[in-house]
Formats: sequence, structure tokens, C-alpha cells
Amino acid sequence: MSATDTRIRLPRIGRMSNELVLASIIVVLVIVMCAVNPAFLSVHTLFSILRSALVPMVFALAVLLVIISGGIDVSFAAIGIFAAYTTVSLAQGERLDFGLIGILAFAIVIGGALGFVNGIVIARFRLPTLIVTLATQGIFKGVLLAYIGSRYMAELPNGISWLSTANLISIESTRAYLPMLIVPVVLLVIGAAFLLRRTMFGRGIYAMGGDLEGARRAGFPVVRLQILLYVLVGAVAAIGGLIHVVLGRSANPQDLVGTELDVIAAVVLGGASIFGGRGTVTGTVLGVLLVQIINNSLILMGVPTAWQRAAVGFLLVIGVGIQAVMARRASRRTFVLDTVKE
Amino acid sequence: MPQSTPPGQLARMNDQVDRSVRSLLGRIHVDRGIGRMLVLFVLAFGLFAILNPRVFLNPINLQNMMVASPEVGILAIAMALAMLTGGIDLSLVAIANLSAITVSTMFTAIASSDPATAESLGGFIALIGVLVGALAGAVNGFLIATVGITPILATLATMQIFNGIAIVWTGGKTLYGAPAVLSSVGQATVGGIPILFLEFLVVAVLIGVLISRTPFGRRTQLQGANPTAAMYSGIRSTSVLYGTYVTTGLLGGIAGLVFLSRNPTASADYGTSYVLLVIVIAVLGGTNPTGGFATITGVVLATLVLQVVQSGFTAIRLSAYEYAIAQGVILIAVMVFDQVRVRRRPRRAPSSQTETIALAEIPRA
Repeated sequence: MSATDTRIRLPRIGRMSNELVLASIIVVLVIVMCAVNPAFLSVHTLFSILRSALVPMVFALAVLLVIISGGIDVSFAAIGIFAAYTTVSLAQGERLDFGLIGILAFAIVIGGALGFVNGIVIARFRLPTLIVTLATQGIFKGVLLAYIGSRYMAELPNGISWLSTANLISIESTRAYLPMLIVPVVLLVIGAAFLLRRTMFGRGIYAMGGDLEGARRAGFPVVRLQILLYVLVGAVAAIGGLIHVVLGRSANPQDLVGTELDVIAAVVLGGASIFGGRGTVTGTVLGVLLVQIINNSLILMGVPTAWQRAAVGFLLVIGVGIQAVMARRASRRTFVLDTVKE
Repeated sequence: MPQSTPPGQLARMNDQVDRSVRSLLGRIHVDRGIGRMLVLFVLAFGLFAILNPRVFLNPINLQNMMVASPEVGILAIAMALAMLTGGIDLSLVAIANLSAITVSTMFTAIASSDPATAESLGGFIALIGVLVGALAGAVNGFLIATVGITPILATLATMQIFNGIAIVWTGGKTLYGAPAVLSSVGQATVGGIPILFLEFLVVAVLIGVLISRTPFGRRTQLQGANPTAAMYSGIRSTSVLYGTYVTTGLLGGIAGLVFLSRNPTASADYGTSYVLLVIVIAVLGGTNPTGGFATITGVVLATLVLQVVQSGFTAIRLSAYEYAIAQGVILIAVMVFDQVRVRRRPRRAPSSQTETIALAEIPRA
């Protein structure tokens, strides 16, 4: 009796949702950190973690959409900095400073256009997304540096420069500031969740990731969906780039490119399947937060920042390793069941 | 009508011509990576030789190209090998740096007390460096074959780990010092051809033979073409994957030695842009990113094409950024060209329609 009980219970633990696992890891981590260093438990820490998570979060949403659709995008960072730098350098002159809305719209249009290039090549010729975005990453970055500008700009146009010091909540006593920019990021998170859960477009993305040919036969306009998806991802990446530029109070065309794999790691840690068809916004948010909390706590624990990279790598191995082993066990279990039936 | 040859003989001749033409065509199809890279190589070489013959055809420039190509080329061969099994190895550059750092640290540690011993141990230290690479490859093999993590994720994680270890180890600084043996290899030439380049060719031939002439190579190809079929044909994927990733790690270690031979410094962030470049080269060389097909000759030629384009761009005074653009454009152009041709084929041979679908739909591992 008890044996069958455990047998029934075990798979349930195995099927414990990835979000729950992540959330518990975060809770355990926070408790351990508080025990090691009481200074960790402060609004200041919370706000600085949130602040550092803003840009990776926006990029992670873009990556999540692509990964669910069964692809991998490594060009989003190049698109982000391309759109942001181009916009800022255009708006630099007094006459062309078209205010926050104008700058945002302009960046989104550029990002969407670059995403359209990705989408057309990928959807029209059915090429592997990793290789295509590798190629476009080189092209975008090359065009930006060769023809638009390679100069570091320390001054932002007035239309957006005020945003870099604007705070939603500021507590002077503990020097804790929550930047205003968290508002658009939260809106994007909610928007992405809505898109994936409630719209036909979201269904289509999951369907394509599950089985591209199946989605096609089920009547999804796969080519159009894919192009739309990459345009959207380009636009989101552009917003990410703009937020990066505003938070850093400067525009450097050499920034961001090279951080793609870190963002992909956070998304995968958040439970999105690299094969497509699976992934949630909640998981991604937790994955990004987990990486930022680890980075932050390593600093507080006095561990050299040099260990950060390795720590994220170890975390990824453990996280994905557990998933892989569980999946393998699950498949073995099904196999045994089938033979019993026969 | 005078008919000198009887009809039967004519038919046989016809068959024979048909067969040989077909086998020729078949070979062109199989060696598409080689053929198109050869064409691109000649085109690129010719173009830059015409545009700026004085700089481009200068023997020093030609020799520089041959010295510069091995480090990327060896990594690209390793990448092609990983892709052959349907995987990928993002950690290659991190492995190469780790191996270079190992060699540099060991050498300087011994040389600080006894320079003469350090020099005499040069070969041994280099061997340790390569072993570190193989060990790192074994870690990848463990994660991929034993734990069952997708190669792209496993190597993404180990890339971070190896790179992180290298940063911690060096403190983010650049290390100086390497056995003189390596530097002398880096500068030596045989009949005007740099030894490094010959080393590259030897590695290419060895891996080429390993892939196409050994049972292990046969198994890796089958594993990449269809893992399920491979499993049912009694191929133990675990040992194939271990073999593959230990070999790619080994090649990463050799690439680390090449880094040191060119320039006796080692750092954690050397060649970070190589990760993506190496994938580009492997795919340009005709490697199927979904597994099952790779030609080392194609990869070697692709390495040379990109090296020629890079040197050529410098010769006609275009920037590194414009080279990055060219790299991307070449990659997309070659892939689109391939895809358009594959799509056209069904009209002639209906059977390959399934192939078209299969090519488009196989999930990337």
C-alpha cells in the first residue's frame, strides 16, 4: 500500500511546476543570504536587484517568444543597441529631439524593421534560426559601427535624459531608489503574458514550437506568424536597448552584443524548452530574477565578481540537469507501463 | 544507314555514360560544401588580387594569412565534428583559453625558479594543456551523454563555467609567458609555408580520416543523421557522444596552444568573437547544423575563404566592421542559395520532397 503511495507521489514531485522550483530556490537563497549577511534584507538590495534586472528582463521576454516558437535568436542584443544608438544619435541635435514618445516610436520602428529582416529570411527560406540570427547579428553590428557611428555618446537627448534619474519610489534614508523605468518593463511583462495566454497569435507561437508542420496543417499561417514574431521581437529588443542606454546615461555602440548567451541562459533556467513549445512568462521572470539575485548575493558575500560567470554556469547545469534527468525517468516510466499493458 | 556498332553495345555505352555522369553529379551534390567553397575561394582571391595586388599578393600578406587561419580553423573543425552528431559546442573558445592559461601559468611558475628546466619541460607542459582541453571535453560529454542535457545548453553552461574559472584563475588579467618551443613553432616555416599552417592541415587530415574512414566516424554520422535509427542499429550513443566531445575538447586544447604560439600571452576573454565565427565557418563549409553531414575539406576551405576576405578587406582598406557585414551576408547568401536549390529539386525527383520537408522541419538540437 505504502509502496504504491510513494510511486504515485513521486511523479507528482517530479511534475512540480518549474516556477515553483524556481520560487523555492529563490526563497532558500534569500534566507541563506540573510543568515550570512543581515544587510542583505533591505529595500536597498531589493531595488538594486530590480534595477539590474530591467534590461535582461526585457531581452528575456523577446528571447522567450522566439524559444517558445522553436527558434533561437542571438541577434536581439545587436538589434537593441542598433535601434537605441541610432535613435539617440539622430535625436542628439536640438531640432530632431522629438521627445520621449517620438524617440520610443522611432527606436521601435528601427527594431521592428531589423526584426523583419530576420523574419523574412527565416520564414521565407525556412532556414535554421540560430544560424540566420548569427549572420544578421554580424550584419547589424557591422552596419551600426561602420556607417552609423562608433563614437561613445555621454550625453542623451533631453527627451529621454530626464528618465535616467526619474524614480518611481525613492527612500532617501536608505538610499534606495526604484527607477521609473520599471513601469514599462512591468507593462511589457504583462503584455507578453497576455499575448501568450489569451491571443490566437500566442497559441500560434506555441503551436509552431510544438511542431511546425503540425501548426501548418492545423491552419496556422506559419510564414506570416513567424515574420510577425520576429518583428515583435525586434521591437521589444529595441525597447530593451533604449532602457539600457537611459539607465547607463550614455550610448555606447559596443555595448550589449556579447551578452546574448546570458539572457538565453536565464530564459532556459526559467523552464522554457530549447526545443520549443514550452515556456512561461512567470518562469522567465523568476529565471532572470534568480540570476540577478545570485550575482548580487555573491558580491554581498564577498565572493569576487569573477565567480559570477561560473556561478551562473553551475546553476544552469544543475537546473537543466535536473530537468533532463526527470524527463528521462518519466519517459522510462511510460515505457515500462506500455510493456505491462501488452 | 551504316551502323558500325550493334544496338546492344550502344545501349551499354549509353548506360555507362549515364552512370558516370550520374556519379559525377552525385559527387558534386555530396561535396557541395567543397565545390562552392572552392568557387568562393577562387573568386575572393581573384577579386582582392585584382583590387590591390601590391598589398594582397605580397608574400608577407600570404604568409600572415596562413599563420592567422589555423586558430580559427582548428576550432571550426571541432565545431563541425560536434555538429556532425547533431550537437554544437559553444564552449570551444573557453576551452582553448583555459588550456592556454594552464600552459602559461605552469610555465611561468616553473620558470620563476628555474628557467632552464621550464624550457626543457616545454613539450610536457604543452601536453598538459591539451589534456586540460580533453578533460573539459569529457565534462561536456558527461553532461550531454550521461545526464542527457541538450548539447547547446550543456556547452552554454560549461562555456560560462570554463570561462568563469579562467577569469578567477587569471584575475581577469592577461598572462605573459609561454615555452619558447611554442613560439618557435609559431615563427618557423618550411619552404615558406608556416609550420602552424601545416599543423592545421595535419589536424584536418586526421579528423577527416577519423570521420570518413573509421568505424567511429561511421557511428557519429549515423548518430547525427538519425539518433533513433542509430540506437536501434546497436550504436551506443553514449560512447559516440563521449568520443566526440572529448575530441572537440582535445582540438580546443590544441587551438589554445596555437593561440600561445602566435602570441605568448593568455587571457580569459581572448577570441570571444570566435564562438559565433566558428559556427559560421562550419556551416559555410557544408556542415549540416542538424547533424549527419560534414566535410572537413569544406570547413578548411571555408576558413581560408573567410581569411582571404578578411585580409582582402584590410588590403583595400575596409574596416573590421565591414568584414563582419560581409561575413553575415556570405553566410545568408550561401544558405539561401542552398535552400532555393533544394526546393527546386522536387520537380525533377519526387522522392526528395520528403527530404525537403525533413530538412526544414528537423528540430535543431
